[in-house]
Amino acid sequence: MGSLSVLDYIVVLLYLAVTLFIGVWVSRYIQTGREFFLAGRTLPWWAVGVSLVATDIGGTDIIGVGGAAYRYGLAVGNFEWIGCVPAMIVGAFVFIPHFWRSGVTTIPEFLEKRFDVSVRTAVAICWLLFMACNIGVMLLASAKLMEALAGWPVAWTIVGIAILVGFYTFSGGLAAVVYTDALQGLLMIAGCGLVVGLGLYELGGITGLRDAVVAAGAESAQVTVNTKEHFRLVLPVDTTSPFPWTGILFGLAFITSPAYWIGNQAIVQRALGARSEFEAKASYVWGALLKNLIPFIIVIPGMIALAKFPNLADADQALPKLIGSLMPAGGKGIFLAAFMAAMMSSVDSYLNSATTIFTNDIYLRFLRPTADERRLLFVGRTITVLLSIWGIFFAFLLSQSDAGIYAIFQTLMSFFNGPAFAVLLAGLVTRGVNRYGALSGFLIGVLTAVSLYLLNNPTVCEYLKSKPLFQISDPFLYYSIWAFLATWVVMLVVSYWTESEPSEKLAMSLRATRAEAAT
Amino acid sequence: MNPLHGLGDLLRSSFQMIPLGFVRVVFVAIPLLLMAWVLRLPSIQTTPPGRSGRWDEDLRIWAWVALAAQVLIYCLF
Repeated sequence: MGSLSVLDYIVVLLYLAVTLFIGVWVSRYIQTGREFFLAGRTLPWWAVGVSLVATDIGGTDIIGVGGAAYRYGLAVGNFEWIGCVPAMIVGAFVFIPHFWRSGVTTIPEFLEKRFDVSVRTAVAICWLLFMACNIGVMLLASAKLMEALAGWPVAWTIVGIAILVGFYTFSGGLAAVVYTDALQGLLMIAGCGLVVGLGLYELGGITGLRDAVVAAGAESAQVTVNTKEHFRLVLPVDTTSPFPWTGILFGLAFITSPAYWIGNQAIVQRALGARSEFEAKASYVWGALLKNLIPFIIVIPGMIALAKFPNLADADQALPKLIGSLMPAGGKGIFLAAFMAAMMSSVDSYLNSATTIFTNDIYLRFLRPTADERRLLFVGRTITVLLSIWGIFFAFLLSQSDAGIYAIFQTLMSFFNGPAFAVLLAGLVTRGVNRYGALSGFLIGVLTAVSLYLLNNPTVCEYLKSKPLFQISDPFLYYSIWAFLATWVVMLVVSYWTESEPSEKLAMSLRATRAEAAT
Repeated sequence: MNPLHGLGDLLRSSFQMIPLGFVRVVFVAIPLLLMAWVLRLPSIQTTPPGRSGRWDEDLRIWAWVALAAQVLIYCLF
């Protein structure tokens, strides 16, 4: 990206100061556990909506999506379009109001109300492990990118970001996270939008970009797909990119996306903190409107980079290289602040949600069920500090490992998404699935995903003298499809052979009768 | 080769037989169907309690705009 000027550093420091100010300002209103975890249900729709979008786009996404757009084109935008908007709209009118009315703090808490404590605990432990470890993963990945972008030392960046994010999350809980996310989301859109505007101006608009990409794709070693595919969203099954339409439609649009927008605690928790059921719905609709913009500001820069620098050795260098060439003094600072905003808005969300799950689903459920609101606030803040320290420790631990372990770890963490969503969906839309079916389905679903991963792993395949199960490079979406389906089959079979749930459990289903809903 | 490879190959070749033009129609049809569903939602579910007079407070309109943008995007690309 090149060296930063004094003006760039002033912009970055200004952003950090405003973020800290918001965190401290919000903390004055936090007196109880309920205010810490759900902001006392006072959050306005506009802040929650921007926060939803900001949480979804991490710093690694900005660079990674830019790199993927450089290599494969617009198809990576599916993750923000069909991979978000339909699920957000359905969530807004069907699922989110139901969660809001049920008065729960976490998704696992809802699962206990619908099934039983074993289902709640199994899902809570998976989410807690995933989120706690993901904090370290995000800190390390972001610090490495900061080193590439601005030359900042990895170790100091990990510690600095963890302390900063930990401080305002500790002080203001969900409210601080959402209001800082709102600032960070707007900054992210402005910073990336500036890059797109300047880039398109240099290339002569959309037509200039199209012509330049087609010409550049022919000479780039990184581009393995036909550059006509660079402007296509729906790619054939045999495409050389990781985004064939089958994975995008069945894996992303039908399973991973609803699982994320309806079943991810870090996402749903914001809407649960909205000041009314209507504002919870409005936040999701507002988020869906914003989501339509996101690919234009994070995908198009990768394609502009291809047009300008077709011979990069590493596609992930596309965005840093573009920023270095396009942005004037002060402009690099705006992008860097936008990048830090994207990074921090994701770390703070997972930190706050992991704290919420531990306090609500482990501490309050098993260790001290009679804890009062002041005690819960104390525990929540203590866990925030401990998780921040854990995040730093885990980031350093990962940095000592080789890249293979890091990649495998990320894969393992995604295994329970499909099964957890299947269980949640079954609890919401069916009356017949019971606690035995839900627990066994969840466990078999996770086992299915792990088995598929192993059967696709080159080392295992070599040992078994077999060929990999899938023909695309990163078949994570396919693991989700099969794990989701396996969970459903087991849930239906086991539930059929075991006793049905009592009416107070069925009251939590969307298909509850009026009499059941009144219990 | 094991039975799972056979199943995978069968599915893959089956999906390859579906014309890409038809698949594009499906990608456009998803937001279109949702647009129709959104318009059929009762206004009590899409407006603030006790205030149904202001058009800009009706969430159906904004959900419809978000989905219409999807239709346009998937038609263009």
